[in-house]
Amino acid sequence: MKSWRLSCLVRGLAVGLLLWGLLPAALAPATDQPHELLVGIEPEHNIFDQMERYRHLADYLAGQLQIKVRFTIMSRYGEGIKRFKARKLDGAFLTPYPTNKALQELDLEPLVHPVGLDGDLTSQGYIFVRQDSAIRGADDMYGKSIVFVDPATMEGYLFPLAYLLRHGMDDLSRDFSRFYFAGSHASAILAVLDGRADIGAAKSTVFNRLADEDNSIRQELFILGRSPAVPEITLCLRKELDATLRSRLTTILLTMDQNSQGQMALKRFKALRFVKAMAAEFSKVAALEEEVRPLLKEAGKRE
Amino acid sequence: MPIFAKLMLPILLVVSWALTGPAELCAAVRIGVVMTGDIPYYSEMHETFVAELSRQIGATEKVEFLVQKPFPNSISWSNAARKLIAFDVDLLVTYGWPATAAVLHEKSAIPLVYAGVHAPNHAALAGRNATGCGFKVPLSSIVRYLKNLKSFQTLGVLFSSVEEDSVRQYETIKVLAARQGIQTQKIDIRSRFDPEQLKAIPADAVFIAASSLAHLWIEEILALLSEQQIPAADILPHAVESEVLMTLSQPPQPQGEMAAGMAAQILNGVAPGKIAPHTFRETELVFNLEVARRLGINVPIHLLIEATRVIE
Repeated sequence: MKSWRLSCLVRGLAVGLLLWGLLPAALAPATDQPHELLVGIEPEHNIFDQMERYRHLADYLAGQLQIKVRFTIMSRYGEGIKRFKARKLDGAFLTPYPTNKALQELDLEPLVHPVGLDGDLTSQGYIFVRQDSAIRGADDMYGKSIVFVDPATMEGYLFPLAYLLRHGMDDLSRDFSRFYFAGSHASAILAVLDGRADIGAAKSTVFNRLADEDNSIRQELFILGRSPAVPEITLCLRKELDATLRSRLTTILLTMDQNSQGQMALKRFKALRFVKAMAAEFSKVAALEEEVRPLLKEAGKRE
Repeated sequence: MPIFAKLMLPILLVVSWALTGPAELCAAVRIGVVMTGDIPYYSEMHETFVAELSRQIGATEKVEFLVQKPFPNSISWSNAARKLIAFDVDLLVTYGWPATAAVLHEKSAIPLVYAGVHAPNHAALAGRNATGCGFKVPLSSIVRYLKNLKSFQTLGVLFSSVEEDSVRQYETIKVLAARQGIQTQKIDIRSRFDPEQLKAIPADAVFIAASSLAHLWIEEILALLSEQQIPAADILPHAVESEVLMTLSQPPQPQGEMAAGMAAQILNGVAPGKIAPHTFRETELVFNLEVARRLGINVPIHLLIEATRVIE
């Protein structure tokens, strides 16, 4: 009798332990639902202003998703690719070239694009010089100085390289007295305005914003070349992220212009709304990358 | 031989030896130099010029420099130019536009190399037996940076009506400021008493043109501006201890080097018309944070990252 009772007690305990062990698993979501969403942002010229804009969006999303949403500024363009590889980020707002790289190399999912206050979601690369310079085409560029933005930008590096290559300039060290990276689109524009570089490349949205703030800029700079327009910013997410969370996030972003709280957050974020993104939109970036691949390989060797 | 003749003979021999002595003791090449004003910008340019020219032709030629640093006014520039032309120097070198204009006005056959000229109109000098280099600082950037540093309505412009290039700078900045809704206030510096105007100037910020007269009394000018908490921006470089808040300038050394290269070519027989003139456009942006603190100005980080140099 005693042994039967003992046996029942042991069995009961075993079942209890088993149930206790299984209970959290049963209560937990079936997939990888994080308690926090960590999203990277590529740095802009004025990061304080940028963080302020994104803070309002983070607060709105956190309120809607009921999880903590944290935006982190990556140290430079293209860093998102490395951080995704280390699985530290759930997503990132990426510019065209890193987006294309991320889609190709990391199989990320492009989720949404913000639409700017002017109703446009795209940006173009511009190549420009001072109006009072004697440079009016690629032939006049030999021996001059050129400023790019960052090697991980489509508008500030990939496109100008393609432009130069199409005009027979395939060696930056040989063809220019100096070339360097300004680190931001605004810095590249200011460098040419100040005369610190003869030729510059930057994206149209920053160019137009600065020109709207200071109308003399359009009179002082002459645009020599324009790249195809591609979506400026894309929120990309890692595919392993919980499907429910991804779906909820998409819905929240795509409909936030339909409620007053969302409209307020969008206004502070300086966007009209978000629209669905598609991987095919980046084929133009891929084509540019393919075009300048020999130059990129050469630059990679030098690094 | 009379005693007088005995005494005079050695004296005459010494004098005649000195006058007809060995050629190597006399300068083989004489270069006449006219600076628009005795200011550090031109002096540093000239130091580089001398060093570079010695490097290029020093081993084969002995060079004598006759340097004129007249007080900046048209009569003095003209006198300095005439004096050097009368000396029949082999080459004339000028720093700044007024000195260059004074030499060109004399229509001498002596070749000319100019440097330190702001926004030179090289085309207008073609066929004048002259070549040279200058610099161009975008004045719009001065207005842009000042606007980002401080909200202001009136920009004082220090220039000199006797220096044609500084007048052009005043006129240019007046147009640029007007486009931004900013008024300009002329401050014409012609004599040492003119900086006194600054005691009652209704300006929120001041731009200093590349005027030799303004830079002759720059310390007094900056002290007066500092007393009134008025920030100043200049297109000529300043020493670290200066009271100027911001400079956007072209360093003098590259122009000195290039002018020396041009001079060496001319001395080797190349006609000035065959040597392409050049305008330097690369600038250096310097913010003085110590001055900014004294003026109560917080230089935003996005401006600081644009600076070539920050003085703290």
